[in-house]
Amino acid sequence: MPRSSLTRLTPKLRLRVAAVPLSFILMTAVLLGCHVKLIGDYDDAIDKGVTDLQQRSELYFAKLQSSPNTPFDQDFYDDVNSRLAVLKTRASSLPKNTILVEQISNLTSQFEKFEELDKTAKRPIAAGIVKAGESAIAVSVESILRLELALKRGIATPPN
Amino acid sequence: MALNVEALASQMLGAALPILKKGADDAEAFAKTEFTKIAQTIVAIGEQVAAGQINEKQAALLLDMQTSASRNVLLTLEGLALLAVEAAINAALDVVKGAVNGALGFALIA
Repeated sequence: MPRSSLTRLTPKLRLRVAAVPLSFILMTAVLLGCHVKLIGDYDDAIDKGVTDLQQRSELYFAKLQSSPNTPFDQDFYDDVNSRLAVLKTRASSLPKNTILVEQISNLTSQFEKFEELDKTAKRPIAAGIVKAGESAIAVSVESILRLELALKRGIATPPN
Repeated sequence: MALNVEALASQMLGAALPILKKGADDAEAFAKTEFTKIAQTIVAIGEQVAAGQINEKQAALLLDMQTSASRNVLLTLEGLALLAVEAAINAALDVVKGAVNGALGFALIA
């Protein structure tokens, strides 16, 4: 139903319309007689792989910040790219894992952008470039790990 | 024993609603923290361009990186929502499992 049509409905009727997909999932679950599974399971290799990647990149960012004349390091990016490719392959092989696959693709794109920045920036590299790049990658890593942690615990609870 | 639709629905809602509410609260807190970081970085990029510390091409690349970060936050929110709905549905089924299976005489809900 188009959004405009939905907004013309009374609140009670809107609630009924919105409840239809949930009722369908519930009915399907009852008919199948089993627990509902909407998203893939926690994967230890992904968790450790992403954490390891974060550790390596934080080390590189710290080096660029403390010694801004550090030359562009192709080996670092080759290593990161191969690790991300392995993580993506693993994520793709796991069922109901499209969200994670997409997240790893976004993280890969971020590293590609930062590689271009690092490669073309004059030395000493501007601290602002490193900080902004590091922050964006950290948000992505935290997002991936936040979801993995929730999957590990089985319910949507935050880390304490 | 006959099954009462209203009683079953009320029990299911009672089991599912707190999970959905908690899931929404947690997602909001996570989104607020991460989007604040992204917003701060975007402001900093603008300031650095204005100060001549970085050029426009570099700013565009950094902004692309923030866009990817935002996408990843939203994807996590999508995953957390799926997880909360999954937990809510399973809790709703669990809470009526005994009554339903007992009334029917066989295990409809495993």
